[in-house]
Parts: sequence; C-alpha cells; structure tokens
Amino acid sequence: MTESVGDSKAEVKQATKYVKETENVAEKYSALTVSKNSSDVNMNVGEMPSAAFTAMPTLKSVKKIQFANTEDKQEFSKYPTKAGRRSLSRSISQSSTDSYSSAASYTDSSDDETSPRDKAQRNRDRRTRHVCPDLLEEESPGEKPLAGAKIVGCTHITAQTAVLIETLVALGAQCRWTACNIYSTQNEVAAALAETGVPVFAWKGESEDDFWWCIDRCVNTEGWQANMILDDGGDLTHWVYKKYPSVFKKVRGIVEESVTGVHRLYQLSKAGKLCVPAMNVNDSVTKQKFDNLYCCRESILDGLKRTTDIMFGGKQVVVCGYGEVGKGCCTALKALGAIVCITEIDPICALQACMDGFRVVKLSEVIRQMDVVITCTGNKNVVTREQLDRMKNGCIVCNMGHSNTEIDVASLRSPELTWERVRSQVDHIIWPDGKRVVLLAEGRLLNLSCSTVPTFVLSITATTQALALIELYNAPEGRYKQDVYLLPKKMDEYVASLHLPNFDAHLTELSDEQAKYMGLNKNGPFKPNYYRY
Amino acid sequence: MAEPAAEAKLEVKQASKEVKESENVAEKYSAMTVSKNSEMNMGELSSAFSAVPTHKPVKKQIQFVEDKQEFSRFPTKAGRRSLSRSISQSSTDSCGSAASYTDSSDDETSPRDKTQVNSKGNSDFCVKNIKQAEFGRREIEIAEQDMSALISLRKRAQSEKPLAGAKIVGCTHITAQTAVLIETLVALGAQCRWTACNIYSTQNEVAAALSETGVAVFAWKGESEDDFWWCIDRCVNNEGWQPNMILDDGGDLTHWMYKKYPNVFKKIRGIVEESVTGVHRLYQLSKAGKLCVPAMNVNDSVTKQKFDNLYCCRESILDGLKRTTDVMFGGKQVVVLGYGEVGKGCCAALKALGSIVSITEIDPICALQACMDGFRVVKLNEVIRQVDVIITCTGNKNVVTRDQLDRMKNGSIVCNMGHSNTEIDVASLRTPELTWERVRSQVDHVIWPDGKRVILLAEGRLLNLSCSTVPTFVLSITATTQALALIELYNAPEGRYKQDVYLLPKKMDEYVASLHLTTFDAHLTELSDDQAKYLGLNKNGPFKPNYYRY
Repeated sequence: MTESVGDSKAEVKQATKYVKETENVAEKYSALTVSKNSSDVNMNVGEMPSAAFTAMPTLKSVKKIQFANTEDKQEFSKYPTKAGRRSLSRSISQSSTDSYSSAASYTDSSDDETSPRDKAQRNRDRRTRHVCPDLLEEESPGEKPLAGAKIVGCTHITAQTAVLIETLVALGAQCRWTACNIYSTQNEVAAALAETGVPVFAWKGESEDDFWWCIDRCVNTEGWQANMILDDGGDLTHWVYKKYPSVFKKVRGIVEESVTGVHRLYQLSKAGKLCVPAMNVNDSVTKQKFDNLYCCRESILDGLKRTTDIMFGGKQVVVCGYGEVGKGCCTALKALGAIVCITEIDPICALQACMDGFRVVKLSEVIRQMDVVITCTGNKNVVTREQLDRMKNGCIVCNMGHSNTEIDVASLRSPELTWERVRSQVDHIIWPDGKRVVLLAEGRLLNLSCSTVPTFVLSITATTQALALIELYNAPEGRYKQDVYLLPKKMDEYVASLHLPNFDAHLTELSDEQAKYMGLNKNGPFKPNYYRY
Repeated sequence: MAEPAAEAKLEVKQASKEVKESENVAEKYSAMTVSKNSEMNMGELSSAFSAVPTHKPVKKQIQFVEDKQEFSRFPTKAGRRSLSRSISQSSTDSCGSAASYTDSSDDETSPRDKTQVNSKGNSDFCVKNIKQAEFGRREIEIAEQDMSALISLRKRAQSEKPLAGAKIVGCTHITAQTAVLIETLVALGAQCRWTACNIYSTQNEVAAALSETGVAVFAWKGESEDDFWWCIDRCVNNEGWQPNMILDDGGDLTHWMYKKYPNVFKKIRGIVEESVTGVHRLYQLSKAGKLCVPAMNVNDSVTKQKFDNLYCCRESILDGLKRTTDVMFGGKQVVVLGYGEVGKGCCAALKALGSIVSITEIDPICALQACMDGFRVVKLNEVIRQVDVIITCTGNKNVVTRDQLDRMKNGSIVCNMGHSNTEIDVASLRTPELTWERVRSQVDHVIWPDGKRVILLAEGRLLNLSCSTVPTFVLSITATTQALALIELYNAPEGRYKQDVYLLPKKMDEYVASLHLTTFDAHLTELSDDQAKYLGLNKNGPFKPNYYRY
C-alpha cells in the first residue's frame, strides 16, 4: 500500500481538493432538497418530496412500513414482515437477501445450533487482511479524512461491504457494524472483520429478535458513542431514534443507501423530526444508472440463459415498461436479434421507445404471439391471469421490475393448473389442454434470483457511501442543515472518475482557455443539476 | 374539420381536465425556477445555467444593450441568431431547405413602401407579395400532413376555444410549419399578429398566405436591421389592439416591448419563449428583478431537448456526412469529441453502421457512460494519426487544434456537430502554406505542402444545419409545446404563475409526447384504477417525478 506514495500523494491532494470544492455545489443541491428554512418555498416543501417520491414505483409498498406503525414493537416480531420488507428495496446489494444468491454464506449456519448470542468468542491477536483495499483507500494513504469518526453501520455484510468497512478504518474511522438483513450475512466475512478488530454483530439466519438485539449491541456500548451513521433500509436510524435519541446530539450525519430508507428519511424531514443532516446516496447518477440501466442490460440475458437456455435470435419479446430497467432489457435483447416490442403508460417514455425502434403495443394485442414476456413496470398485476391464459405454449414469463407483484402469480395457484418444478427457479405451469407457460423465480425478481450482481456495481455504491461519509464528517458547521441532501455532483463525478481506470479510459482535460470559455471549473462539476445524462 | 364532433368533444374534456390538473405540477416546477425570494439559489442557478455550453458566447455578446446603435450593425444580428441551438433556426442558414422559393430580388421596392390589400379588403399586414398567397397555402398544407399532432390538438380543442380572447403577438421564423402553429392558435380562438425573428428565414409565400387569411403578418425575406425593428414595432403598436400574450423566439420582441411599450405589460398574461438565447435573457431579467409577467421556458422541456439533440443528431450526422462526402461508414475509425446528448446520438448512429467509434470526454460521468456503451474513451492526441473521421460535439472551443490537424492522416474528414463554429480551429488553417480547394458546396479540401489533404465540412460550422435537413416532425414537437404553453399561461388562474420563468409542467410535456405517438401507431397502456392506486399516480399522469432523467 506504500508503493505509489509520491504519486498518490498528489492525488490525495486532489481528492481533498475535490472535497473542499464541493462547498458551493452542495449548497446548490441543498436548495433542491426539502428546506425548512426558506419559508417562501413552503408550498414546495409539502409537495415536492412526497408527491415526487410517491411517483416512484419502488416506494409504494413502503407505505406499510412507516415509523408510526412501528410504535408498537410487536410488528417486528412478525417474521414475514421483516423478510418482505427487505425485498422491497431496489438496492442491488439486496441481492444477497435471496437465499439462492451466489453471495450467500458458504458456511452453513445449521451445523451449529447454539445461537451466537449465547457464545463468547474471542479473536486472535494476529490481524490478517485478505481483502484488497478499495480504490479510495489507494487514493489517500497519508491523509485520514475520517480520523475521529465513529461510524455505526447497518448494511448487508458481504465481502464487498467488508472492503468498504476496511476502507473506512484505513481512513481513520472506528466502526461498529450490524446486518440490515437477517439472511444476507456472509458468516465468514463477519468473522474476518471481527478478527481485524471491527465489532461486528451479525450472522446468517438471525431471528427478528436477534436482529434488533444486534442493532442494539452495535449502538449501545459503554464509553463509545457514534458520530456517523451508515444505514441501508433505515432500521438502524429508526432504532437510534426510538431508543437513544440523545446519541443524535453527537451525530454529524446519516448516510442512507436504499430507496426504503431514503423514503423514511424524507418522511422524518417532512414531519420536522430529522435532527441531523442526511445524505441520500441512492439517487446519485452513477448509482442509479448502474443499478438499473447497465445492470439489468446484462442480467436479463444472464438470468434467462441460466434458467431456460433460450436462444434469443428472432424470438418475439414484449417488455412491459420502458424506464431505465426496460431500456436496459430492450437494448440487450435487440442486440441478440430478438424482435422486441414494449408497453408503456408514460407518453414520453413511449415516444423514446418509438424513436429507439421498438413498437409500442398494449399487452393484450400481442400476448398470443409472444415467446417471452418481461415485466419492469414497478406496478402490480401487469400480467393478469386472463393474459396468461391466452399465451402460447412454451411462453416464458419473468419479472425484472419490483418485488413479486408484477405478475399475478397467485391467480395461477388454482386447482385446474398443474405446477411442475423443472429446475431451481423454473416452474412449468400446465393448463388442462397441455399448454405450458414457463414462470421464472415464481414472479420474483429475475436479476436477484437467477443472476449475479457484478462486484463493479457494488464498488460504485460503496465508493459513493465512503465519499458521502467523508463529506458529511468534514463539512464545516452549517453547510448541511437538518435535512436530506443529494450527493454533490462533484462527488458523483469523482466516483465515476475513480472507476474509469477499469476501462483504461483516458479523460480529456480542459485547457485554461477552454474552461474560461465554457465558464467551468477545470475539475468540475461539468454539468448543471438538471442535466439528464 | 368538423367530422368527429362527438368524439372530439369528449377528448376536449380530457384535454381541459389535464390542463386544470397541472396546477400542482406547475407549482412544483415553479420552485425549480429562479425564484426571487431565495437569494442564494438565484445566484447559483444562473451559474448552473452558465454550465450549458451553448450559453456562453451568448451571454457575453448579447445583453440588453441600452444604446440602440448595436442593432444597426448587421453582422451582429446574423451572428446572434446562429448561436441559438434551437433547431428551427436551421432556416437561418442560406443552405436551409426551408428558404423561400421566390427570389426576393425580382422586385426592388421595399414592402414597407407598398400598399397591399388582401381579397377581403384588409391591409393590416406587410409582406413581399400578397399574390403569392395561393402558393403559400399549398406549402402550409404540405406541412400540415407532417404535423398531425398539432392538427389533432387543433381538432380536440377547437370547440372549446381555450384561447378565446387571447391577443397573441408573435415573433418567430415564418415558415410553413409556423404557419400551421399560427392557424392552430387562430382556430383555438386567438387573434394573432406576427413578425419574423430572423431577417432571412421568412418564406414570403407563406407570409402572404397568412395575411390572406387575416393574420397580420409583418415580415419578408431579406429585411434590413431597420426593417426588422420596424416590423416588430408595427406588430405591437396597433391602434385599438393591445396584445395580452407574447410568443417569442430569441427575445427580440420581448426586448422591444420592454423598451418601447412598458405599459403594455400591464395587460400581458405571459411570455412563451422558445430559444436558448431568449430563455437566457429572461433569466437575466428575472434575476435583475425586472420581469413583470410570468414567462414559460419551452426550450428545456424533455420532449424538445431529446428531439433537438439526441434523435435529430443521430439522423443528421449520417445524412450530413453522406451528402457532403459520400463516405462509407463500415469499419471507418471515427472519434467523437464529447458524449453529451449530441455525442450519444452520433455514436449510436455510427456504431449501427459498423464504424469503430472512440470518444473523448471531460466529464467522468459521461465518460463512464461511454465505457458502458462500448466506446473507448481516449484523448484526441492518442488517436489523431489513425482516425478517418473527427466529429466535434463538445460546445467548447478549439477542441481540434492546428497541431492536431497537422498530424491527421491523408483524407481524414473533420466536421462539427456541436456549437457555432468555434470547435475546430479553422482560423489556424488560413495560412499561406496551406491550399484550400472547394470541391463541393460546404466541402473544402485543405492541402498541406506534402500533398496531404484534410476534408473540412461547412468550414467548421454546424454540419446538421448546413448540410442536412430538419425533419418537420421535430418542428411539430416544438410548435405543439408552444401552443400548449400559451394555453396554459392564458388559462391559468390568478396567482398560479408569478413574475418568474417557469418550465412547462410535466403534464404538458407528457401531453405533447402523447399527441405525437399516433404517428408511430403506438398504443399506450392505461393504468387500471387498482394499479394507479398502488403506484400512487393519477391515471392521466404525470407519471414521473421531476428529477427523473429519462
């Protein structure tokens, strides 16, 4: 880690410069968030976040889980609620939620029946580090931008997260960590982290009770008080709010990754209850594009190939919804020679589809001819039983969109239909006349159930989180108020620039003269906030 | 036009419902515009604006000049117009296909000195020759065929007359497509007086046809600067008629009214502005606290932006290169400078024809997008010796320098899709050791002493304006957006819009898109009640939050 000190020293300078220069940008962004201070935008306060947010498909069922409902702790003991809730988040790192995910723990937890809560374990003194450091860590070995930061985290505990945690430690932070999902922990990774001295409270297959016990142990420790929170799903934030509100006096900021958690934060902010700055990293450009467009472009082919070994050339495919996910799916399928048409409710997206060369149809018009039906609307019941009845023999139905609501799978569980499991995640549903429809992952998300999530994508998320923590921790008093902020564009650009070397991409630099002509700073930000990319 | 009355009635209802429901959306948007109340935001938003390439030179050259002298300088005027990115500007260019067929040189008398009367005895207009009206009518009818969206808007809202009582004064390019817009506004109940926003772009026969139908048009091709302002003045300053709406393209009309007839603004309900330049001027006014009526920025609507840049350039890059050089694209090494909307369009088109495309970029986010789309991200110097075609679309200046031009290989093609004529350092090629050889209209061979030739297109000016056409479909989108913006501003209840610059409500944007879907025989799916409830959406939109990136 010391090899390129001279070289990276210069880059550190730049990195910290980036951080400093974000001041204006951040303030600019602040105007876009719900601001309690500018009273003249009052009308806006009520409308913007909530109405805008409710328009986002993935948020809908979140309604079930508000802070209000959780006042009675009873709800948490309901096991299915917990599992159900997690799967609603669109966050890609959720993938490990699924028990079929490749990221699941290798060591089966069933070989040891004693609950980890009852065991006293000790780490060895020898500190070993197997995981390669994050990009960011290489960028700033000398400087410790997080020195003094006490970060309490609640995320999926996987090898990728471990890289993030060790990066934070390397940047000077003290960390305590717990899992945001009862299934997703990789036990061996948790062990490795604990071995290096990071207090980790998590194992695969926690109960609801264990889950909250872990969070509590994480936060409530003698002589150590957190001053930063890194959350995924908002459970940790919620717990601290309910149990240890005094902790917030010292907390400098919350970094929240998931759609669900961000929604909860906006609710808090709306209610005037948010008492520290929070950073919404979910809506950064880089993360959004990778989570949806690029990731789905790859996983649709991967998922379908793994499950059905289908050949795409000349197949008739209908993709329901032409948002980021739909655009990704269509591009990939078209490239392999499939004949793709789409359905859409939004005329702007429909017009985009037209211009990209896809026919815009209603599902009922084409359902009889289709070989593959892919849903990515974020809606519910877009493929109904009536439409399933009219499909042709061998038609493949799968969901890339949201939760398990898009295909009306419940309607298929009727006595006249026979279900035949032909492979893991693949069901043949047989009609009385012998027609078969191939249903993948029982209507759950194909990309989470039947394909992998590239580490590259998780790297983008993790880098964004780390930068958000650094920004919040080092921000001068008053830059961030008690509100939810988007990551400054500068940061977003920095995350992207850190990932460019993977592609051997050579960024052009503006000359002084050109920068002046464009009215830009040579180091960015390069685009106005409303730029659509 | 009266045939599907019952059906249209129903659709009108829907249309007007949509207009009403846009209330909230509009208010939401209003917070995104430059608000005079939030000081900090104001200063910064404008700096955000200054990050848009096309704005730069505009800002420096054309501010509201207090001394009228500047307007009499002819080159300034022509120069200014070409800076605007608005696609309808294309007709500015002398090569534009929309130029008037009738040559203005056949009649030396200035239209100002002639008294003309249309068939109804009306003489409140000033055009080149009213006798060309019949020919102009045919032009308009041809344009109507490609502007089905605007026509369907006309049919849907005709019985309702949402613009009844509106007195619109307009200043745009006067072409067959604009004529369709004007006649739509008239059909919706408005009274219109019109003038040209450009001294060259008027189609004389179309102006005549409009005058014949009773629209007061003051414009002809080849006006002088003086004529230009005279026309605007005649348009605004009319006994017993005071405008209450302004439709502007470039901001000249607004400027003139501010200077000469400030009291007219007491009655004005709103300004609709189409061009980048004009929008920039409005934001300046608003920032200075001088904007005294609501203004609608239709330039930045999603539909218009995507069509003006991404889709249009995707087609015109191939068209422009083929027309000028007959190049075959398969296997050619192409470098595209800049991966914004224009660059994305160019790359997609070239890749589809089998070119090997690499890009240069300064913005890491766009560079990462290029990587993920399968384009190599390089610095120009690294590849300059190998490439066959260089296309600039950065909005910057001197991105291709003399030094780089020196190192190019024989026969490579250099052209500009981006902005004005600054991107390629053409001036540096005008040196004695290089020979320029014009081989075709818009095509120059620049010959080095060793015999190497570099093919420069349109002398570094915009290839898509100089060497390819602008589809009527795109103009239809602009015109429909303008019409809806006028309806929205005119019918907005007191207090919905304040003295500020607004973006078009997303609802409207979606409505424009939906009107154009019929062209593609696209069938939009409708949400069921159940689904709409689940998503928390209104069944009729808006369907996306404001920050959605499309």
